Amino acid sequence: MDGVHDLGGKQGHGPIDVHEPVEPFHADWEARAWAVSKGIGGGAPDINIDWWRHVRETTIPVDYLTRPYLDSWLEADMVTLVDSNICTLEELVTGKSTSPAAGEAVSISVANAILANRASATKFDRPINAEPKFLVGNEIIAQQNASTGHTRLPGYVRGRHGKIHAHHGAHLFPDAVARGIEKAEHLYTVAFAARDLWPEANDSKDMIFLDLWESYLDPK
Amino acid sequence: MVEKGLTTTETINAWVEAYSEEIGPKRGAQVVARSWIDPTFKDRLLADAAKAIEEFGFEGDATGHLKAVENTAELHNLVVCTLCSCYPFSILGIAPNWYKTAAYRSRAVRDPRGVLTEFGVSLNTDVQIHVWDSTAELRYLVLPQRPAGTESLCEEELAKLVTRNSMIGTDRNLSTQTAGES
Repeated sequence: MDGVHDLGGKQGHGPIDVHEPVEPFHADWEARAWAVSKGIGGGAPDINIDWWRHVRETTIPVDYLTRPYLDSWLEADMVTLVDSNICTLEELVTGKSTSPAAGEAVSISVANAILANRASATKFDRPINAEPKFLVGNEIIAQQNASTGHTRLPGYVRGRHGKIHAHHGAHLFPDAVARGIEKAEHLYTVAFAARDLWPEANDSKDMIFLDLWESYLDPK
Repeated sequence: MVEKGLTTTETINAWVEAYSEEIGPKRGAQVVARSWIDPTFKDRLLADAAKAIEEFGFEGDATGHLKAVENTAELHNLVVCTLCSCYPFSILGIAPNWYKTAAYRSRAVRDPRGVLTEFGVSLNTDVQIHVWDSTAELRYLVLPQRPAGTESLCEEELAKLVTRNSMIGTDRNLSTQTAGES
């Protein structure tokens, strides 16, 4: 999706606030927003991370750029709850449930939250029969066109030349998984030279690395 | 959410507490300090960081495919997620707000030297930058260089020198005094 979220290389977003306090949360609501999201499991139970990311990408552009981050994060969780018929919009607006709870949530301690975090390490690699199309060192061109739905091919490398830096086997393919189709594709780290991406970087030897799936890439 | 039976107040408080203290950048700092004093651990970390952090029990949210990238005198690494805000939560905790802003996400891949200057990091022109855009489920941890003159410090003391920003790449020359901001 060619949305406002695809920010790499965009200009005019100003300086960075480098004097932010070191504490993880800068307001009570931030801590609670994060914890509510963790507590409910990051949205409706029938969604996946790619669907969640796509929901966030469909945030109204002006909201996407201006709403506080964790507020926007929690909004994505809420959208999935409404979409999966777990809550109504009215219930979320009023903060009052109009139907009996579907079940009883179990309370956990801090120690159990830490254990639950530890158990949440997730692997996204999958077995695949197809041989990889590219070898480390091969030169590629990133595709000019990407999916109109969720995709992880940023605009700033489309149509650009790069080189395969590493191969990671096959990983779940977000463009398909966001649509509910479990499919894996070979995943590569691709190196792009800054001078091949940006007109002002002619003299630069800096490199930008992206992790890109096989169908995003064509041989040079 | 509580009335709906999706979570409880106690659980919400537990998650606030877990991410306020235990699950934070001090974990990453311990990993970096170990890599400085134990070359065999550093080898394991560079080979498979997701597995190496299991030695500390630090694996978890968004570290299933963790990769460590090492700074040297000739190379500086910088991590960003231009498409959303991917971050290795289990080892660095809550991402700072600046990491999630349009300003950082848009500029890190195009103007990394300008970004570093704003963070007070001046790089010689002969130092190459590698920017890692977290577009898949790989997550990146920068291994900063060990400051000179710290040969006598133990792992615990070294960990205190490692700033969160140095593990993202917006800090480079670590102080030999206790870590200050971020």
